[in-house]
Amino acid sequence: MTVATEAAVQPTTETLCEARNVSHDFIMPNGSKLRVLEDVSVAIKPLEVVALLGPSGSGKSTILRILAGLIRPTQGEVFYRGRQVTGLTPGVGIVFQSFALYPWMTVTENVDVVLRAAGLPHDQIRARCEQVIRTVGLAGFEEAYPRELSGGMKQRLGIARALSINPEILFMDEPFSHVDALTAEGLRAEVIDLWAPEDSNPSSILMVSHDIKEVVYMADRIIVLTSHPGRVRTVVNNALPRPRDQRSPESERLVDYLHEIITGTEMPDLPASAPARGRIEPLPRTDTSEVVGLLEYLHAHGGIGDLFDMAAETDHEFGHMMAITKAAEMLRFVDTPKQDVVLTAEGRRFVRADTEEQKRIWREQLLKLRLFQDVYGLLTQQADHAVGADMVRELIIIAMPREDYETMFDTMVRWARFGNLFAYEEDADRLSLQ
Amino acid sequence: MSETREVWGQATAFLERFRRAGWFDLLLLLGFVGAVFGFLSLAGEWRELRPAVRIDLSPSALPVYVFYSLSRGLIAYLLSLLFTLTYGYWAAKDAVAERVLLPLLDILQSIPVLGFMPSVVLALVSIFPRSNVGLELASILMIFSGQAWNMTFSFYHSLRSIPNDQTEAATTYRFDWWQRLKWVELPFATIGLVWNSMMSMAGGWFFLMITESFVLGNKDFRLPGIGSYMSVAVAKGDIPAMLWAILAMVLMIVVLDQLLWRPVVVWAQKFRVEEGAEEQIASSWFYDWLRRSNLVEWVTRTAARLGQRAEHGHQRKIADTSGSPSSARWSGALSFLLFLLLMGALVLGAWRLFDLLRQLEPREWLPILRACGWTLARVLLSTALGTLWAVPAGLAIGLSPRLSRIFQPVVQIAASFPAPMLFPLVIALLKAAGVSLGWGSVVLMLLGTQWYILFNVIAGAMATPSDLREAARSYHMDMRLRFFRLYLPAVFPYLVTGWVTAAGGAWNASIVAEYVTFKGQILTTNGLGAQISRAAERADFPHLAASVLVMAAVVVLFNRTIWRWCYQLAEERFSLSK
Repeated sequence: MTVATEAAVQPTTETLCEARNVSHDFIMPNGSKLRVLEDVSVAIKPLEVVALLGPSGSGKSTILRILAGLIRPTQGEVFYRGRQVTGLTPGVGIVFQSFALYPWMTVTENVDVVLRAAGLPHDQIRARCEQVIRTVGLAGFEEAYPRELSGGMKQRLGIARALSINPEILFMDEPFSHVDALTAEGLRAEVIDLWAPEDSNPSSILMVSHDIKEVVYMADRIIVLTSHPGRVRTVVNNALPRPRDQRSPESERLVDYLHEIITGTEMPDLPASAPARGRIEPLPRTDTSEVVGLLEYLHAHGGIGDLFDMAAETDHEFGHMMAITKAAEMLRFVDTPKQDVVLTAEGRRFVRADTEEQKRIWREQLLKLRLFQDVYGLLTQQADHAVGADMVRELIIIAMPREDYETMFDTMVRWARFGNLFAYEEDADRLSLQ
Repeated sequence: MSETREVWGQATAFLERFRRAGWFDLLLLLGFVGAVFGFLSLAGEWRELRPAVRIDLSPSALPVYVFYSLSRGLIAYLLSLLFTLTYGYWAAKDAVAERVLLPLLDILQSIPVLGFMPSVVLALVSIFPRSNVGLELASILMIFSGQAWNMTFSFYHSLRSIPNDQTEAATTYRFDWWQRLKWVELPFATIGLVWNSMMSMAGGWFFLMITESFVLGNKDFRLPGIGSYMSVAVAKGDIPAMLWAILAMVLMIVVLDQLLWRPVVVWAQKFRVEEGAEEQIASSWFYDWLRRSNLVEWVTRTAARLGQRAEHGHQRKIADTSGSPSSARWSGALSFLLFLLLMGALVLGAWRLFDLLRQLEPREWLPILRACGWTLARVLLSTALGTLWAVPAGLAIGLSPRLSRIFQPVVQIAASFPAPMLFPLVIALLKAAGVSLGWGSVVLMLLGTQWYILFNVIAGAMATPSDLREAARSYHMDMRLRFFRLYLPAVFPYLVTGWVTAAGGAWNASIVAEYVTFKGQILTTNGLGAQISRAAERADFPHLAASVLVMAAVVVLFNRTIWRWCYQLAEERFSLSK
């Protein structure tokens, strides 16, 4: 097994599709800009499977849409076979996460309209429809409506539709995340079988995923992204021979390696320094019950757990598991050496306490964070111990202009409510001390 | 041996199918021929000019009158549909035009029909001085103005709420604008459009009596139809004729529902987007018959073949010009041109309006405003009264599957019946009871608008999740607690929709409720509706413009403040989908 990192763009070999130095901003409802991609370069060569891997918020789906020509990037360019593309990228078929089938059309009609839009002659449309429907194993379901199909079947239709136009590159946006695990396993193997013949399309596949095992099974090249804003962290080549076995030691070693890269990026092993008067840190988007649940889990498992095992066992996306862990770490209930999660003394005390005591400890820990200190201070200064919520939103925007302030505010309110630190009245839109 | 049996079996099956569907095909064919004949005679009716129409009050004359009114309603509906598709599409696709088109639609929606009527009638009659076309067109346009707006809003909102991934799929697979419309946008909008079409058709009948027997100054612009039949019967105080007219109207609504709307609703089921729970799909016997008919099958197959051939040609054409930026430039230019025309028309209209209003003395506005206050009070009172009885009744019906099965169609029919046709009978009763029109007009408004509240509450009650109801039962909540803590909050969002429609309808109804002709004498009370009616009858355009303007302004203001606040409250506090 060779594992090496290299530049995302290799100018020496011929590329099919390429994004150069792309940055992208979303305009928030309040008019401010949120940067989702920062100087990203990605290239897809013939006959390879490329995966974009990253936690939520790394802009991986946005990269896919920019490469397909669905979104114009704020900065940077897209090329197809060396020529700059301004509209839709030619030779691309997309498989969508939520299938994007037309519910009022049968299986056949869903494929048929795509071929008609492509301008295929009538006599060929029928044959082509039949052929792709058979290829993906939907023969016998031609007259069924999407609502009559299971999740896996729907995605087969999504794949059939994409294949029908004979695309050079198949784009797949988290194709199996709305499909049950067992079905997904089968579909992955089938997609690889469809791609494998070198003399027929699709020549290459670009897939977006948050599932490390899936990526190790399918991809030749894995582009690891960081979040907020999305950047290319590193590119990992995967030269494991095909057909691959997910349970082989080589596969597992690569999975571990990718785990390490991601945890290293998202949770650097810095000593949990006391950020008492430090900068305001963004709160991970989590619910308090999830943090409490994590602590209970650790306590029941001897006070230590592996991040990815826990994610798999509790059926969480690892990106979200990471957010929960990060939240617990901010409150100093856990420590995270490498990819382990260890309960701290404070965490242990919290788990053993009764409900009232838990709330008290939680409140104590909250007040060690700058954001809660500031808001609490603001509230105590007021004569009526209350303040309009917009003032606090503004505080968040100024401290963290790149974050989605509404989500941040929601998370803050949830955390504060759990610790009885302050209350939020939705109708009046204001915060007040209990 | 087995082969012969198979052939024999096929033959019997075919004969059986033919025998079962044969008479239906025959009926269908007869109906079709009848419709063609009817429309031909209608065209003759339009071409000639009869200075005064004499309405025959014998019941045997009614079917022809019903046919005339029905065809006006249907032609108006086709116009509304055409208007909806273009206006809604334009507003959804052109961000610049949208900023003008949407508020304009909001204003148009709040102008009562009678506000347009006199000028449209005069203009069209002067364009076609030698035939009935002008007057017929005017009447159709009036019905149209009671139908079009909510359909347009619905279509626009559907276009704007198509899921993102479905548009993205259409983009990557390179659907052109026509394919996008045909395969994605129209199917997505169909269900909303069908429901609003039913509402619109019902709304269009509301002013039938006025639009068919319009009197301006000393000129009589009467047209033959069920509306004019009724108005003549009222003028003569002929109660049996009135009852015949009401019966004919009810029959017409029921037949339309069974032969047109119900089949369309069932057909539209195929465009629903939600998955799972196939909750009580509507059924229609007529639709089932149509699907079984050989004739219909033959027609649809031929149409499909012709359609395919046409599309083939279209495809060859796009293959030649596909990807050319010139088509985008063309549509941009067209949109811009239309926008300029629209702005021009708006400026011209505003100027004409200003010109009219200038003729009024400032002190003449005072009585109009005072009248507006009276009508506002009546509108609110009638909405409150409607709520008072419709909420308990709606809950009782909606919470019981048996009652809702019986009453829902009845309520729908009642809601589509044009209430003004009942006014004369109610006024007779009110007079006998000694109630003045000042109070009586509230009853008249209520007559038309209470149904909107009722059927929205029924819908809300039926949508209340059963687990919430079971929870209330298992914790032994008494009726009072259940009503205030569960049912009222649960139906509140629906109630708001009911209020908005009911109040809008009440404003409209004030025009006919505050100024009534009965047995040749005019009953009236102080109110904005009476002001409008009187001004229209006297062809007093400055007064008409001023009172219509005040009414539109109050309605828009009300929508923008009170009702919007209610909607927000419903969405934030009482939404069950969050």
